[in-house]
Amino acid sequence: MTEIKKRGITILGIESSCDDTSAAIIRDGVILSNVVAGQKVHEEYGGVVPELASRAHQQNIIPVVDLALKRAGISKEEVSAVAFTRGPGLLGSLLVGTSFAKGFSLAAGIPLIEVNHLRGHVLALFIKEKDTKFNPPRFPFLCLLVSGGNSQIIKVHDYLHMEVIGQTIDDAAGEAFDKCAKVMGLPYPGGPHVDRLAKEGNPHRFEFSKPRISGLDYSFSGLKTNFLYFLRDNIKENNNFIEENKNDLCASLQHTIIEILLNKLKRAAKETGIKEIALAGGVSANSGLRSALKNEAEKRGWHLVIPKFEYTMDNAAMIAITGYYKYLNNEFAAQNIVPFARTQL
Amino acid sequence: MYSEKATSIKALEKAAKKLVEQFPGQRIFAFYGKMGAGKTTFIQAICKVLGSTDNVISPTFALINEYKSAEQHSIFHFDFYRIESMEEAFDLGYEDYFFSGEYCLIEWPEKIEPLLPENYVEVKIEAQENENRIITARTV
Repeated sequence: MTEIKKRGITILGIESSCDDTSAAIIRDGVILSNVVAGQKVHEEYGGVVPELASRAHQQNIIPVVDLALKRAGISKEEVSAVAFTRGPGLLGSLLVGTSFAKGFSLAAGIPLIEVNHLRGHVLALFIKEKDTKFNPPRFPFLCLLVSGGNSQIIKVHDYLHMEVIGQTIDDAAGEAFDKCAKVMGLPYPGGPHVDRLAKEGNPHRFEFSKPRISGLDYSFSGLKTNFLYFLRDNIKENNNFIEENKNDLCASLQHTIIEILLNKLKRAAKETGIKEIALAGGVSANSGLRSALKNEAEKRGWHLVIPKFEYTMDNAAMIAITGYYKYLNNEFAAQNIVPFARTQL
Repeated sequence: MYSEKATSIKALEKAAKKLVEQFPGQRIFAFYGKMGAGKTTFIQAICKVLGSTDNVISPTFALINEYKSAEQHSIFHFDFYRIESMEEAFDLGYEDYFFSGEYCLIEWPEKIEPLLPENYVEVKIEAQENENRIITARTV
């Protein structure tokens, strides 16, 4: 074998903050592989991989890293640094990724880089793909981060400096989707089902309450309760109310959630004077949200960036890209670093 | 027997204070109530009583949120809504939290009832037709 050439900076990213175990390789900002434990790993390694939490992460981590290296077509000796999710998340789950990353870094004699999961969601916008046009947001920009666990407006000054200027004070937007869906008898997670049925429904048929919260913060708990009581009252009159109105219910609910999200975003754009807008997090897969944002962007002259779906869910590519920018800035972690559970940016 | 009627957020805060005061030695609180009953909202009020300035939000997705009390003690906020079997609670390492001696405020305890320690506070929140809340609590 010929000696390994120095081909730039290669980052191995590790993500284990919640349900999924993931590993990814990024070289000079370009994605080479992104593996999320799930069906594919089952197929290639055989056996059942439990869905949830730390013991499952322990079973997944080695196969997932191995596969990420294979798919990237590189050997482990080519990795320049290992980046891992330090938090927020479940401590037991985070420990698996953290310990693995420490071990890998020690054994390979390469630097260790800690990454905040929420910052990773934002920097996912900067993942380059071979043969795809790269259209990142320009600094400073506003990022609407919406997922099952988060709803935040983040002002991003540059790769490594960002601040939360608005966030939910109770439920996340994704949770409002999922819980209202559950009440209508849709499977969990219900967001995608609501999105699908909403396409056939009238978004103005029903009115649901919107929160009156000052500043740029969000609240979705009141909407959930309002939706629940609305159904309860209507079911009293008509036992088949949900079945007969499912599409309109989904469309009206989705419309309300999107309006709540966009109202604060519009306000943030106005207050900061920033016209660079980006979307991040799993709920960005929602087609209603995407098209509403596109309309708004056209109307207001925003430059809008919506990431590829693959990078909006929890994944290690976003950890690797964050690691890449921290590497460029020489921000490395010590071996005695510990994970954190609390939500902070 | 603890029984409070909350007609407003302010009354809910009073009810939270009473709950903490009435069960000073207890650390495990299991909150029963239908979706929309106000479990998270009540827990927000309790965290405030415990002196936490953290943003207390629903842990349905995260499963566990951790906050700090005024004395920098941990407060663990659980939500077992989306777990499907008790196996998953084992996988979470629930015992590390339940036996930590810190406050554990648990939503949807129905899902993991056999795992609750011998002595805990059962809190029931019931929404009435007029949207008032009746909160009752007792040690189990």
